[in-house]
Amino acid sequence: MSFIVRTVARTADGRDIVRPKPFDTKELTVGRSPDCDIHLADLAVTLHHVTIRDSGAGTVEAVATAGLPFVVDGKSTEHAWINIAEGAIIRIGSHALTVAIGEGDDQGRTIITVERVGAISNASEAKEETRVFSLAAVLPGKRPLAWVLALLILGVFLVWPLISIYSQPTDAARKVAFHADEMWTSGKLSSVHRALENNCQACHVKAGQAVRDDACVACHTKVHDHADPKRLAAAMGSPGIVGGTKRLVASAFNIPPGRCVECHTEHQGATAMPVTDEKFCTNCHTDLNTRLADTNLKNAADFGDNHPQFEPTIRFAAANGQPATRRVSLDANPKEDSGLKFPHALHLSAANGVARMAISLGKDEGYGAPLQCVSCHVRDATGSTFAPVKMESSCGACHSLAFDQVDGTVRTLRHGDPAQVVADIRAFYRSGAARPAVFAGMARHRPGETAGRGAGYVPATPIRVGNADQAIRAVFSKGGACFDCHQVKPTGQASAPFAVTPVVLAKRYMMKGWFDHAAHDTESCASCHAVKTSNSASDVNLPKIARCQECHGGQEAHKAVPSSCAMCHDYHRTGFAPLMVRDSRARGKAHDAIDRKSLTAAGAGA
Amino acid sequence: MAAKSLRQATTGRTRDSDHESFLRYQGFRWLKIGLLISAIALLIYAFNDVQPKPNGGSAYGYITGTIGVALILWLTMLGVRKRAITPGRWSLKSWTSAHVYLGLSLIVIATLHTGFDFGWNVHTLAYVLMMIVIASGVFGIVAYATLPQALSANRGETTQVQMLDNLRMIDRQLNEAAQPLPHAQAEIVQMALADDPFGGGLFARLSGRYPKCGTRAALAAVRADISRVEGDANDPLDHVEVLLERKRSSLSRIRKHLRLKSLLEIWLHVHVPLTFALIAALVVHIVSVFYYW
Repeated sequence: MSFIVRTVARTADGRDIVRPKPFDTKELTVGRSPDCDIHLADLAVTLHHVTIRDSGAGTVEAVATAGLPFVVDGKSTEHAWINIAEGAIIRIGSHALTVAIGEGDDQGRTIITVERVGAISNASEAKEETRVFSLAAVLPGKRPLAWVLALLILGVFLVWPLISIYSQPTDAARKVAFHADEMWTSGKLSSVHRALENNCQACHVKAGQAVRDDACVACHTKVHDHADPKRLAAAMGSPGIVGGTKRLVASAFNIPPGRCVECHTEHQGATAMPVTDEKFCTNCHTDLNTRLADTNLKNAADFGDNHPQFEPTIRFAAANGQPATRRVSLDANPKEDSGLKFPHALHLSAANGVARMAISLGKDEGYGAPLQCVSCHVRDATGSTFAPVKMESSCGACHSLAFDQVDGTVRTLRHGDPAQVVADIRAFYRSGAARPAVFAGMARHRPGETAGRGAGYVPATPIRVGNADQAIRAVFSKGGACFDCHQVKPTGQASAPFAVTPVVLAKRYMMKGWFDHAAHDTESCASCHAVKTSNSASDVNLPKIARCQECHGGQEAHKAVPSSCAMCHDYHRTGFAPLMVRDSRARGKAHDAIDRKSLTAAGAGA
Repeated sequence: MAAKSLRQATTGRTRDSDHESFLRYQGFRWLKIGLLISAIALLIYAFNDVQPKPNGGSAYGYITGTIGVALILWLTMLGVRKRAITPGRWSLKSWTSAHVYLGLSLIVIATLHTGFDFGWNVHTLAYVLMMIVIASGVFGIVAYATLPQALSANRGETTQVQMLDNLRMIDRQLNEAAQPLPHAQAEIVQMALADDPFGGGLFARLSGRYPKCGTRAALAAVRADISRVEGDANDPLDHVEVLLERKRSSLSRIRKHLRLKSLLEIWLHVHVPLTFALIAALVVHIVSVFYYW
């Protein structure tokens, strides 16, 4: 038994050169050392790595000599029996030793073919130069990357939302949660529409169709038009080249003009809805009379520069004596006929009898000092205007309607009902009139006398009169309780001999605009209302526009308070506060901007 | 560089080159056009009073949006155009010059299209993708303008294959020199031989840092080996040390080469795929805007 070792070397052009070397020994040493029978110039091989021994009976034995394993047919081991007839491949380092049985001339011998199968180093592996030196070796290719990214974006941002749109209900069954089409939003909805944030289709009803008014009207059922649409169209006039082109393009895309959203812009952030710009009003109103010849409205372009004088709604007595109203410019020095006699100057004096009376009434009666505006005019719940003045609470403390006293309880005439007054007086005298009725007129009222409720009550007239007719005449005539404040006319009828002109105090003068008293708390009443010099109830004590313009200017004015139309006027004329005023309470973004503007203009801001 | 300028100085000849970079092409014609477009867009934006605030849905927004998307699609066509080289007015160089400057003017046009109205939505996604594409393009121009010199200096007249051959030669010498070494020391040499010069991921390529470098580890181990007789030509370990040092130097040159090359290429790996991502985002942007008009 002997071995033939065939060493295979590869030439540069790829040919194999086989050098056979016979060994007539029973044992072969394998290692890196040059004195080994099979010399492997391989650093992964120890100097003496393996001994291959002929163990007879057609088998050879491979034994590791340095304690390091080798691989036989893919299995790592330190000792192996190899059937020569079956053959095996022993792998040591980068070399393969193929064990096989000899045939032909080599019959009876064991052939060991030695071949280098691994490269010397990692650098010597054959590699495609342009690829390994390029980034393509460490990165996925540009093309697959482009496909993956593009499809990912189309999938997440287009397909997913479309699936969501066509699969989710839009009615009440819709879940209040994230829906994929929200990724299409161009910005948060305004605070009032926040509830619609999850339901794009509430407004965007039909795919590809710009938002229609129908969607708005679905909820906003009570909003009415600014004016008759035909007159509106006439008032707008020719849109000009730019506007005309815009309208043409819009109509090409089936977008009707004058939609709600043209003014009410959405998706501008989670704040109050932005205030409509002044130009949307002034487009028409700057020279409205040139396009609407029959209009009663006066032109207005800017609050600071070009706005007509205020025209409050003034009450007057119509030809038939019935109360009526009309709008009169403050420049025309209007006189009001409310039916009441009331000189403001007299009541607000700090030194006269009225003032003394108020002081002597004391704090318990709600006075204690000369009268103030607030003594009679009290803010209503909104804060923006005042509760109607009531005779009983505002006047009654001084202007007594008392006529009798029963066991400490003062009996008073019924205010606001002349027939009842007459009946009460007659009833008093019919009841026997053991004591004369005591009436006190205001002309004889003395400071120090308490009206009404106390024991020493002040009668409606001090004249003690003997019969009912005399007493009735006294009350309704000069010096009597009614006559002091009211316009009284004799009727000539026996049952109701006198008639009192009905009193209608103005609830609101500026019917076409909005004024918020609460917003003007920094001012005193007298700084706008010249009531301290007003000696007649017919005076209309409203400030003219020039007074407002001291602080307010147009939208872009360098005034303390730049004021666009929407600060006082409501496009939809609801009778409530305009959008801007409501927004200002919600502290919207647009209002903040105006705040900042006004602060800057006033020199108080950054 | 120094040698070149010295030669020029001695011969007194000015360097005469037909080369004109795509940046300076035709006296910066496309730069001027790009600036003009941007200036017009800015000017109109400044005097265009959109209420309540500028946005892509205004007339100006629609116009800049249309111009923007047309520009993006045209800029993308450079990928097709560059594969067909033609001379003259519509030369590839002219296209490239226009690509760069019109691409830069897109910063102005697209930003004004947005009206600075950004949010967490698909529209801003398209804008961000576009800005990344433009930024990567700017990086590419800077890389192309500065890195080839460094690349050339590092390579020192050798080709990539020659650099690699040099490394393989050192490896063969290392292999031979290490043959007499006992197994433990042979294993040290194996560490160096196992080094794949193209190993390491993207980060290693871009930074030139290879913390697991076998050659450096082997060199340190050999130097620390007390059996080494320094300066002895007959000591195989000392010979291995010399060879390892040469391998380290050769490897670092290849790695620097790889780093410079990857810096030259990386921008395109961002620029191209993100361009297609951008086009996808633009499709979504346009569809969604008109779907929910």
